[in-house]
Amino acid sequence: MKSLRKTTFPAVISTFVICFVFWLLITWSLAVQELIAGAVVSLAVSLFAARFFIHEKAFWFLNPVKLIVGLIYCIVIFPIELIKANLDVAFRALSPKPRVNPGFIKVPVGLKSDYGKAMLANSITLTPGTITVDIEQGKNDTGNDECFFYIHWIDVKEKDRVKAGDIIKGTMEKWVRRIFV
Amino acid sequence: MEISMTLRVIIDVLIGLGVFFAFAGVVGIIRMPDCFCRMQSSTNIATLGLFLALIGGLVYAIFVERNAATAAKIAFIAVIYIIQNPAGGHAIAKAAYNRGNEHLKSVVDDLANADEAEQPATLAKEGDE
Amino acid sequence: MTQMPELYYFAAIYVALALILIFRLVKGPSVVDRAVAADSMEILTDVALVLVALASGRGIFLDIAVVTAMLGFVGVVLVARYLEGAL
Repeated sequence: MKSLRKTTFPAVISTFVICFVFWLLITWSLAVQELIAGAVVSLAVSLFAARFFIHEKAFWFLNPVKLIVGLIYCIVIFPIELIKANLDVAFRALSPKPRVNPGFIKVPVGLKSDYGKAMLANSITLTPGTITVDIEQGKNDTGNDECFFYIHWIDVKEKDRVKAGDIIKGTMEKWVRRIFV
Repeated sequence: MEISMTLRVIIDVLIGLGVFFAFAGVVGIIRMPDCFCRMQSSTNIATLGLFLALIGGLVYAIFVERNAATAAKIAFIAVIYIIQNPAGGHAIAKAAYNRGNEHLKSVVDDLANADEAEQPATLAKEGDE
Repeated sequence: MTQMPELYYFAAIYVALALILIFRLVKGPSVVDRAVAADSMEILTDVALVLVALASGRGIFLDIAVVTAMLGFVGVVLVARYLEGAL
């Protein structure tokens, strides 16, 4: 069990806030007894579970510029990609003979932080037509960090890895880099 | 409390589009030839087939019912699905590949080559656990 | 008090789509197909629950929908972990 990371104080605080907001949402009352019970339960849960949730700096969202960029990404940029991919896969399934051309492709990713990689991988998986199957991290010959995603793609238009990455990631990687580096 | 016609049409169009995408996803799951392609079609249900209906419900809860608790719970359901769906899809895709499910005629299969090259590393990691 | 009775029809369509998926759940050649079909059925019934809750004005269905949304994820991850042999 040595792979467990240490529980840090900011991690406990942020997990506590999330759990308490969840409690307020479910009970939907502001009585004092409910608030005290929710606080106790949230504290217990966050003490046990914080190490599984938060690994890096937990208060990145207190930076207003990054928060605004993240909101723009979630409200404008990502839904556009989502709607395009949804229409593509929907008409692919509804065509008289299902047009598929599947393959697994390895795509280089230029992000550094764990949150950034997780957000990009989740964005790719949430778009229909692409699923992130595996991730490979390591160091290249010159000692720099490098990272690859293995992606199942329903229609392989391009076998070259860099060009395929440009098609799959689209504008998403640029915006994720503005949020998380 | 009479509901205005414009609002009603907007809600109906949103939920109707959601029904269309859900229908496309169901047809894809039934018809696609391969288990990974079926997974891609199920993402179709889980994104727009779900979210358009939830947005329509959100508009209904805010402008017709005027109930904050209902709106908050619907938004919370949407957030839950945004967070958990890619995690589940990734887990089940990785399990399907590692189990050796037959996937038809992949155009490129970089993952197979990577598995051969990295066999000792993964074995060492399993032994460590 | 139903102001938009067509919400019931939309919920019925979602339930019908979920029932169609039983075909894949029964026939599916592998376990993964069955897991994907079951997850999609869970999502469709969840949407139907939300629509019925809005149309009938009863909040209790929404709580059930929240809990169902979280339990479906647990089921999928359980099946995935079992197939990987890590359970």
